[in-house]
Amino acid sequence: MSLGRRAFLQFVGGAIGGTLLTPIPWKLADDSAIWTQNWSWRPSPERGEISRVHSICQMCPGGCGITARLVNGRRAVAVTGNAAHALTGGGVCPLGASSLQYLYAPYRIAKPLKQMGSRGDVNGFREISWDQALKEVASQLTRLRSEGKSHTVACLSGQKRSTMASLWRQFLTAYGSPNFYTMPDASDSGRLAVALTTGMDADVGFHWQKATFVLSFGAPLLEGWGSPVYLHQVFGQWQEAKPGVPKTMWVHVESRASLTASKANRWIACQPGTEAALALGIAHVLVREKLYDAAFVADKVFGFEDWVDLTGAQRQGFKSVVLAKYGLDEVSKITGVAPQTIQELARQLSQQKYSLVVWGQDKGDKPNNLYHDLAFLALNALLGNLSPAGTLALVPHDPWQVFPEPILDAEAYRGLGRAPLGRPTTAPRTRVPVNTVMPFLEAVASGSEYPVELLFIHEANPVYTLQETALVTQAFQKVGMVVSFSSYMDETTQWADLVLPNHNALERLDDVVGLPGVPFSYYAVASPILKPQHDTKSTGDVVLSLAAALQGSVAESLPWKTYEEVLKKRVTAIAEAGSGLVAARASFDPARVSGDRGLSPNFKDATDLWNKLKAGACWVDTAPAPQSFSTPSQRYELACQGLMASVSATAADDLFMPRFHPLKPSGDESEYPLLMTAYTSLMVSEGYVPNAPFMNKLLPDDLLLAQDVFVDIHPETARKLGLADKAAAVLKTPRGQASVRVRITTSVRPGVVAVPQGFGHTAYDAYVQKKGFNANSLIEVQLDPVTGLGTIWATRAQLRRA
Amino acid sequence: MIFFLAGFIGALLVGWVVFPNVLYSTKTQPVTFLHSSHQDSDCQDCHSFREDGSFSGLPKLEKCAECHAEPMGESPEEKRLVEEFIQQEREIPWLVYAWQPDNVYFSHAAHTQTQGIECVRCHRDVTKETKNPPFKENRLTGYSDKTMKMVECEKCHAERGASNACHVCHK
Repeated sequence: MSLGRRAFLQFVGGAIGGTLLTPIPWKLADDSAIWTQNWSWRPSPERGEISRVHSICQMCPGGCGITARLVNGRRAVAVTGNAAHALTGGGVCPLGASSLQYLYAPYRIAKPLKQMGSRGDVNGFREISWDQALKEVASQLTRLRSEGKSHTVACLSGQKRSTMASLWRQFLTAYGSPNFYTMPDASDSGRLAVALTTGMDADVGFHWQKATFVLSFGAPLLEGWGSPVYLHQVFGQWQEAKPGVPKTMWVHVESRASLTASKANRWIACQPGTEAALALGIAHVLVREKLYDAAFVADKVFGFEDWVDLTGAQRQGFKSVVLAKYGLDEVSKITGVAPQTIQELARQLSQQKYSLVVWGQDKGDKPNNLYHDLAFLALNALLGNLSPAGTLALVPHDPWQVFPEPILDAEAYRGLGRAPLGRPTTAPRTRVPVNTVMPFLEAVASGSEYPVELLFIHEANPVYTLQETALVTQAFQKVGMVVSFSSYMDETTQWADLVLPNHNALERLDDVVGLPGVPFSYYAVASPILKPQHDTKSTGDVVLSLAAALQGSVAESLPWKTYEEVLKKRVTAIAEAGSGLVAARASFDPARVSGDRGLSPNFKDATDLWNKLKAGACWVDTAPAPQSFSTPSQRYELACQGLMASVSATAADDLFMPRFHPLKPSGDESEYPLLMTAYTSLMVSEGYVPNAPFMNKLLPDDLLLAQDVFVDIHPETARKLGLADKAAAVLKTPRGQASVRVRITTSVRPGVVAVPQGFGHTAYDAYVQKKGFNANSLIEVQLDPVTGLGTIWATRAQLRRA
Repeated sequence: MIFFLAGFIGALLVGWVVFPNVLYSTKTQPVTFLHSSHQDSDCQDCHSFREDGSFSGLPKLEKCAECHAEPMGESPEEKRLVEEFIQQEREIPWLVYAWQPDNVYFSHAAHTQTQGIECVRCHRDVTKETKNPPFKENRLTGYSDKTMKMVECEKCHAERGASNACHVCHK
């Protein structure tokens, strides 16, 4: 029997038929599906006991309650909202939900690093021990002090609402340096405006739940402004139908049809940067038609009528100025809003028992024009919103005296006697520290005053997040030594000479002092959810150990061993004050907190309060309604006498008053015919931490396509420029240029280019880098002439086909 | 025809006899453990539910250490348990017969506590075992040959009127 071709085919046929009747094909198909789960690069949590830890999110100043899910107590697998948290009750934003991607990020810094090559060379860093790193900083600090140069040490901190800011201030004061700064935010100008008009060091809080009519000048309530998750919940409550209660009407004023604008009951599209003019136009109608709260104005407001100053000179009051200068036609011309709309808004506002005027931009991370802050405050004052039963609250910025008076030796006195770098002499002298970051950097970059020998950068990434990024790098090149306290190898840390890595936000003990836009005092302790992943140290502990190393009065001014002790001291101060309570979702109703009724404590003592806060709860207290103001006139000052020293005594009357005062962007209009504005959204992180891969998944294809970022222009603008949808283009401003793609949309005004923020990183890892361009490198900063704060509203720009 | 039959029968032999032996490797547990020697208790004493209702699965080393901090008897396996694991605080890398693939979400509480289903409906009865069954590990998937297949879940769900929608188990 020979094995022929036919026989072979029969054999194969039989084998195939037989195989089909065995488990081989079916089992292999099934198993190979499961086999794909074994690939080593497939993320898979380890198996083990699941536990949950509550804490407070520190990714932004929003202070949300979070719950972390852990496996075996050491591997975090998810961060969600803490349902028991009184204000955010289970909500969390995309950044908070992605926070684990920063904890386990490959760009974390595992050990102290020293730059051995030239500054800015990422490959030049070498790991050194903590002992050596601390010794280097301490010896530098000691040397500068002994040489009488303590004023040349500066610090820029990104932790604005944490005790860390107070700790740095205490350290620098005792050491003898006036150069302490925090990253800019809206509170920089807001606090000054409040201080000038009321004499208090307080932030403006808004009684959202009480208000029945909200007029928002540019504050993107749904896109990360203020405390984002809390505001989303407020927005949800506005939508709920409650028997007998009218629904809250919400009018949004903004040049762009943002998400917030589209969700509002009414959108008023004004020209970019003219919101304050509209506010004054509304004030004009209120005054002219006598619709303002006459009782409050007569009783509590100074400068409404004409007045006489200390020198006996006759001054015009707010009433005269606003009637003369902000007539409907003038305001309509400036803002592009119809006169009857302005009138309508004024009447609507005055008809409400609980109206509320809010203002702001982006995520609240830019100071505002001081005069514009004064204008929005004035509108609230005219409506009587500042009365005890009103909708505005003045929340003490940091009411507890935690640190003892720093002990100053001769060197500290000498150093503190030097003027802070770049601080304009016009900056108003109030109880509020003036945070002039941009003039500071300009002075460092130009070398016009004295040099900075040692610069501490704490949890901040100014090289990326500050506008006019070129100025920041110029300044860095002039600094003697840069020490970064970042957890990540970000753009700024790349410029450091020494890196003392901090714990990541989820690994460290920290706190949150007050929430932006919330009408009551707030305090929460963020406790670590797990042990540090790397050889990092809490910056609070590092500052204390540096103080100890310096000995003498510096050590005496900061006598604590650990940062935890400092926080416990703060909690003790709160407990001893004996008011406020630990709020729980089930029992606390933010709507019922009002200034005229205090909250009685529900904790036994400081230890009890500490334990409750460490377990993820928060402490709240009413902001007492001011019965009298501590201004020179003892009233709310529409005419700010505190500004008299800042502007010349012979200055025009309206220089002491709220007014529309646009700062002109530079550049020639013929060369740069467009106005560029930047916007933020909840989907993109544009601050200290970059967009995590999780967050990138939220980005639509008409915002980021591969490496290209889309900018928004109106169809009319597109027609003029000859640009089609999705076309590649070059966007140029007096500060720089970038390759972009255009999205044609009616959501922006003709002549305006709207640019998203948060892209264009050059540091971190492959998932973060090289995505589009950094809007900050194109944005121009305009220094407020009175305060010296760096304000931003629009930059001149041109757009041409690539 | 004879060649067809030869191919057919050959393939059947390979498929039903050779293939299963090639696909699975036989492994032994790191420590010999007999449920029948620990039968002064019921399943839940060791395989307990936590306060929050989640299932703790296999006991941790500390459970073993409660009794075996020092050897109780003469057995060399027990001596090994004490010396190699308990004293060195090294968790025992048990081979688990019933582990489900990661893409399945399964709650013991929903089945045993809410529905009252007996453990042995899905797990083998260990009460009379005199030695550990061999652990046959699928070379492709890494799971045991005892790992329950989806069809079992579906059948039971169908019988009891529980939903068989994908997202019930694949969340």
